Amino acid sequence: MPHIQLSEGLPGIRGLFAFRPETAKPLCELAEVLLHTPGTLSLAERELIATYVSSENDCYYCQTAHGAIAACHLEGNEKLVLNVKRDFEHAAVSEKLKSLLAIAGKVQRGGKNVQAGDVERARRQGATDQEIHDTVLIAAAFCMYNRYVDGLATWAPPDPASYRERAAKVARDGYQGIPADVQAAEAGRT
Amino acid sequence: MKPIFLPEVENNPQPSPTTDLIRAAQSAGTEYPQIWHLFAYRAQATANLGAFTQEMMRGECPLSPGIRELIAAFTSYGNDCPF
Repeated sequence: MPHIQLSEGLPGIRGLFAFRPETAKPLCELAEVLLHTPGTLSLAERELIATYVSSENDCYYCQTAHGAIAACHLEGNEKLVLNVKRDFEHAAVSEKLKSLLAIAGKVQRGGKNVQAGDVERARRQGATDQEIHDTVLIAAAFCMYNRYVDGLATWAPPDPASYRERAAKVARDGYQGIPADVQAAEAGRT
Repeated sequence: MKPIFLPEVENNPQPSPTTDLIRAAQSAGTEYPQIWHLFAYRAQATANLGAFTQEMMRGECPLSPGIRELIAAFTSYGNDCPF
């Protein structure tokens, strides 16, 4: 049960967005810039970084929601998402993404864990400064989102399959419409 | 000051108020917090982070801004981040 009174039926961060729309807007816009704006890192790679960090933070809602979105960008390859969470060094992803996931994992454990050698490894695999920058910011932002979601003990649907439909919508339309979406769901209930 | 890990980030500030602050500090020869380089590099993400911080720290809330800054300072201390 959530630590504060949230509207029922809106899982994870969506219940919090409905609770505090003023902070929901910039948080969604940040997610849009980090995860859904075209760049040299693919949308799948960005979502995999977010999913991996959420998994390391043991945040069930975020890792399941973003894992499902990552799978949408990977033609439904949920197995690959699982392999990245379990052991990305042996998953079927590029050496560049492995080096970025290693940096993301260090940020998750604490920013000062990132060493020059980690950045060197990513550069050797062809990562640009912008890609390394975005990796660190995605990892740091998801540590915030994860702690926000679990720090208030929000409810999350247990069945991963139930995340697929919404994931397809977010994979297609991005994050900017979410505050309006949540408000509509809210209005529908009252 | 030591350069940050990513020279491309440090050397490519986008037009923004933070970039003006960096230039002013550099021409005055004073030290400045290097988070400014991060703010100046990805202005779009920064604008959203700024809007979030403004709402969190100064938006309508029964907790006074002073108490909210204390919570932020206490958390940053716990995270070993002096800035």
